[in-house]
Amino acid sequence: MSGTLRPVLLLCALPAAFFVAFFLAPMAVVLIASLTTAAGQPTFAHYLRILADTYHWDVLWVTFRIGALTTLVCVLIGYPLAWYLVRIVKWRPWRRFCVILLVVPLFTSNIVRSFGWMVLLGRNGLVNDGLIGLGLIERPMRFLGTELGILIGLVYILLPFIVLAVGNALAKVDPALEHASADLGATPAGTFRTIIFPLSLPGLMAGAVMVFMLAVSAYVTPALLSGGRITVFSMLIFQQYSSVFDFNYGGALSITMLVLTLALVAIAGRLSEPRRA
Amino acid sequence: MTRPIRLAAAMLATTLLTAPALAQQPSSITVAWYGGNWGDAFKACVAEPFSKATGIAVNAEIGTSTVTLAKLQQQKAAPTIDVAWMDGGISELALAAEVTDTLDPAAIPNLANTLPEAIYKNGATTYAVGTGYYSLGLTYNTQKVKAVPTSWNDLWKPEFEDAVTIPSPANSSGVPFVMFLSKIWGHPAGDLSSTFKKIKELKAALFFDSSGAATNAYQSGEAIIGAHFNVGAWDLADKGLPIGFVVPKEGAWATDARLHLVKGTSKKEAAAKFINQALTPEASGCLAEKLYLGPSVKNVAVKPETARKLPWGETGSVKNLQLFDWAEINGLRSRVVDDWNRQIARK
Repeated sequence: MSGTLRPVLLLCALPAAFFVAFFLAPMAVVLIASLTTAAGQPTFAHYLRILADTYHWDVLWVTFRIGALTTLVCVLIGYPLAWYLVRIVKWRPWRRFCVILLVVPLFTSNIVRSFGWMVLLGRNGLVNDGLIGLGLIERPMRFLGTELGILIGLVYILLPFIVLAVGNALAKVDPALEHASADLGATPAGTFRTIIFPLSLPGLMAGAVMVFMLAVSAYVTPALLSGGRITVFSMLIFQQYSSVFDFNYGGALSITMLVLTLALVAIAGRLSEPRRA
Repeated sequence: MTRPIRLAAAMLATTLLTAPALAQQPSSITVAWYGGNWGDAFKACVAEPFSKATGIAVNAEIGTSTVTLAKLQQQKAAPTIDVAWMDGGISELALAAEVTDTLDPAAIPNLANTLPEAIYKNGATTYAVGTGYYSLGLTYNTQKVKAVPTSWNDLWKPEFEDAVTIPSPANSSGVPFVMFLSKIWGHPAGDLSSTFKKIKELKAALFFDSSGAATNAYQSGEAIIGAHFNVGAWDLADKGLPIGFVVPKEGAWATDARLHLVKGTSKKEAAAKFINQALTPEASGCLAEKLYLGPSVKNVAVKPETARKLPWGETGSVKNLQLFDWAEINGLRSRVVDDWNRQIARK
């Protein structure tokens, strides 16, 4: 018994040590800081300061609203896109090219891509020039410094995650199931509704959770595209660490955000559970 | 087979261990400085001449001032950084964190040629020395803004509606800039409510959190007037963009990049020599040419073309700069950030 256990333990030791050193230890430092004063005395004051202040709830509301809208738009665009790539495209080189197009932006830094959107969405940017040229608007629209601008940037950056997750789930659906469904007289729409969509739901949920988590915790994209006129929660955290140097209060903000996000994701997971079964 | 190898390894280890002890000076020192064109300039103007003169190599440890301070705090017991560049404001925090050592005028003779404003003392001892000033002045698009602006109040003119930019508190200049505005408007010290009221009336295109975001805004035309660092504004102008930089009649807020000797370094003598090298007129003039940093060393001659791009403008000197007491700014920091969040950075 112990003879087989030892190699397993040894194999697990390295990843476990890595996890403890680079994930649990820093998290513990943040958690401890959030529960102590600058002098090291235990306190709950930082959390009280956050939770008792409606300002923080306003910012959380903005943050989660942007996160939810980003997820929704990503699902609405990402699902059909994944469908197209997996089910419609028959010519493999074209499919491969599409996947590369989708993945390549992930190799560029967020900062560079957000700066790109600043240029595109500006008052003299390509988007406004285009809309004016088409006669759709008369004066430049304001994108930067609005929630719409942040939404556009986040959807662009996070879309690949949902397409890859859904595409993977769709590709795994056994074609025999569809044939059986058709044999039994279901319409293509009925087959999709009752067979394919439920089978792709785990992939969709995984992608949606990933997009939501990344959207609510995003810093660079909202910071650049908000033009300092909209505040999301990650900016409050960054401010405390980088310009106020209050690591205790900043830690409490981080933990608050982490707990609320995990709670929301858990609720979402619970809600989608019965349909999956 | 293994014995000779072990013997060789032992010999090699002995040589490596004793070599530094035998040498009269270290083979290298580690200096913390900023990234981008700042780091390039520090390397070309200070580190390379230093290595040439002393034979000591310089290893760069790149990071912003706050990151450098965080590293120094973590390495307190056994620092690997010997000399550190940090900006005004962070420099005071470094002093409070007890990571800086005293700059000895006997080891750094060039301290005597440095402007008295650039020598930072804690009681009787010097803990930092400025290597060049930079300012946050009025920057404008020379094509879109017809009359050269002369006052910070020009930003509130209706014609510049939605095309103005000033720093947000996430930028190192954000908090001091709020206090600077309060001072030039003659608002009572310590009461920023009327200052925030006026900032709230400003029709801004954006509040920049990084110097790069400001540069981007002027370049794309998103902002046609506002605040920017002289270093960034002239960089745009040098690239052929229609950008002008002026020091308004109320003056410009300014700060400096300072050098610190790290407490507990084992290479104190070489580190002091490096700081001395940074305070030569040649190094100071070179930084002025490359970054438009206002020299902190006395009697530095710069080209007329460079002189007009210095932080104090064409005819000024260090006396025209509004150098604030960072202790006061650091004291108000958390309140200014909080008020800004609640009043400015929300719809």
